Amino acid sequence: MNILVVNCGSSSVKYQFIEMEREFVLAKGLVSRIGMTGAVLTHKPHDRPEVKVTGEILDHIVAVQYVISILMSENHGVIKDKSEIAAVGHRVVHGGERFSESVLIDSEVMREIRQLIDLAPLHNPHNIRGINACMKTLPNAPQVAVFDTAFHHTMPPVSFIYGIPYVLYKRYGIRRYGFHGPSHYYVSTRAAAMRGKAYEDSKTITCHLGNGASITAVDGGKSVDTSMGFTPLEGLLMGTRCGDMDPAVILHIMGREELSLHEANTLLNKHSGLIGISGVSSDMREILSASNDSHTNAKLALEIYCYRLKKYIGSYIAAMNGLDNLVFTGGVGENSPDVRALTCQGMEYLGIKIDQNKNLAAKAVEADVAADDSRARILVIPTNEELVIARDTLRLMNHQKSNNPR
Amino acid sequence: MALNRIIIVGAGVMGRGIAECIAATGTEVIILDRTASRALQGVEKIGENIDREIEKWGMTAADKRAILSRIAPSTDLQVVKEAYIVVEAIPEKKRLKLELIRKLDNLCPDETIFITNTATMSITELAAVTHRADKIIGMHFLNPVPKIPLVEIVRGLKTSDDTYRKTREFAELLGKTPILVNEYPGYVTTRIIVPLLNEAMHVLMEGVSTADDIDNAMKLGYGFNMGPLALADMIGLDVVMSWMENLLGELSEHKYNPCPILRKMVRAGNLGVKTGQGFFKYDAEGNRIRDNQNQESRS
Repeated sequence: MNILVVNCGSSSVKYQFIEMEREFVLAKGLVSRIGMTGAVLTHKPHDRPEVKVTGEILDHIVAVQYVISILMSENHGVIKDKSEIAAVGHRVVHGGERFSESVLIDSEVMREIRQLIDLAPLHNPHNIRGINACMKTLPNAPQVAVFDTAFHHTMPPVSFIYGIPYVLYKRYGIRRYGFHGPSHYYVSTRAAAMRGKAYEDSKTITCHLGNGASITAVDGGKSVDTSMGFTPLEGLLMGTRCGDMDPAVILHIMGREELSLHEANTLLNKHSGLIGISGVSSDMREILSASNDSHTNAKLALEIYCYRLKKYIGSYIAAMNGLDNLVFTGGVGENSPDVRALTCQGMEYLGIKIDQNKNLAAKAVEADVAADDSRARILVIPTNEELVIARDTLRLMNHQKSNNPR
Repeated sequence: MALNRIIIVGAGVMGRGIAECIAATGTEVIILDRTASRALQGVEKIGENIDREIEKWGMTAADKRAILSRIAPSTDLQVVKEAYIVVEAIPEKKRLKLELIRKLDNLCPDETIFITNTATMSITELAAVTHRADKIIGMHFLNPVPKIPLVEIVRGLKTSDDTYRKTREFAELLGKTPILVNEYPGYVTTRIIVPLLNEAMHVLMEGVSTADDIDNAMKLGYGFNMGPLALADMIGLDVVMSWMENLLGELSEHKYNPCPILRKMVRAGNLGVKTGQGFFKYDAEGNRIRDNQNQESRS
């Protein structure tokens, strides 16, 4: 049985096509520049070289049609007929308080996802477009929505309520939601498996460090706190986002520089973080190389990045009263021994001690990089959000079948 | 709606602003002008405008690359043969607009909608020279287009409901809030702002108060973002005067008679921000130069 996993952006559709018996990726790819001249589909079947197809891809519907036809094409395809696509799993950014887990999509679910546009104006509209496109193109395949926020639904109110008038939570749903759910979930289950321990008995901190970055405390298999909040802006320092700071700062800057709401929003989301402090780049690899060339502000940005992370790790150890596994994932977490080393430096008191040789050797593979006498294990685990989406899709599809036997 | 076939005629300040807005939504646009250098310069100036936004944190270098990659300059009017929407943004001269609209009418497919960007002109009159009076509609954007969230959609006598609906969708795509205007000289915005600006000039001329104090009074007293005299400087005093003369010509009402200091300043070439001197002084970037020694108004 094969499942298509789809992640839609404003002018892009990313996909993976997974055979579920072996959990094997048959093909993956990306449609970019949708609606523009030079729209292009990049497709990589597992056993043949990558191909690029350009065409007039006016909207997400045409994009999905291109994806389906290349999956079925004689030269680059992996299936013969549409019916071999058993179901489609969609990444949807915001599930609000309504969706605590993945759901089969029907018209009622679509209506509710649409209502959440207010909370995620930059993401949910594109996700909706992708779902509509797949429903039109593959009317017989069940469609499942997997939410970025759902894994954090187990957080208690002490973690998700902000210190502002409670009525604003009631009125507008202003609270911590958290993001990167499928990734935090995937690596925390892998951590338990690597340790040979039951998921329900583990205290794990997962650091997802990519372009965006967030950290989650997973106690007994449940997310109990996470660093991203109402939006992905809160928490860790990121490539272009500021993360935590005194909220009065932005009000002050808006007054001094006469900024509009839009300008203030862009300042915090796109001009801050690593790029804002260093002036060099938002990419950690370039920050590290500039820092090695003794670029003062690149070094400062790197240190702030790791220091912020370390403070969060300490606070989550306190929140859970202990730690079994500290997990690094995401582009930076999987590939940067420097960031891992700097973050874990001087944390022996909290039971964290890294083995420098193991750390240097671990790049984009599952590995335990803790010193033998470290109380907590330090794990590098490549994330796999697509697989989480595919598994949930399969589970809901089977569930639907057992409820409505034909 | 196939929005990848939008063409703007005229690479002046309004045409550029509209092109930037369209491209910022992820839609491609062709900007036409009579010479290659004017069309090319139009795109360059959009780049400069975005640079100022980047300095104010409103955009990023990546946004700039993306937006500019979607704007194609051209001099070939034949491109309108594929157009879904043509936006006309050439200077506010009736003869030029009529001539262009006649040409477009011959070149464009029957279903093409013509949007004319005008602050004062009659849509009905422009529509009368074409074979598609139902597909002609006005959109009055305000300058600077990327910053002002309003657009007036102006229906001529024969504009169809379908054209209006599509134009409304287009406005919403651009992130603008549309208001509907049934054609009448000055529409809503121009007609209401003009007497206010003119009255502020009379108050100044009569020595009731200084330019700074007049502007402060309206800013603090009535919550205007900008005082009327600074606003007149920003619009351009020559533009304000031409609006008044159009309104006066159409409606023959005394209240649209330009204040004598407005006439005098226009004759002297003190046109506001764009010449560095209007009711206030400005540097080359258009920032106000504040002269603490001399708080007096000029006239």
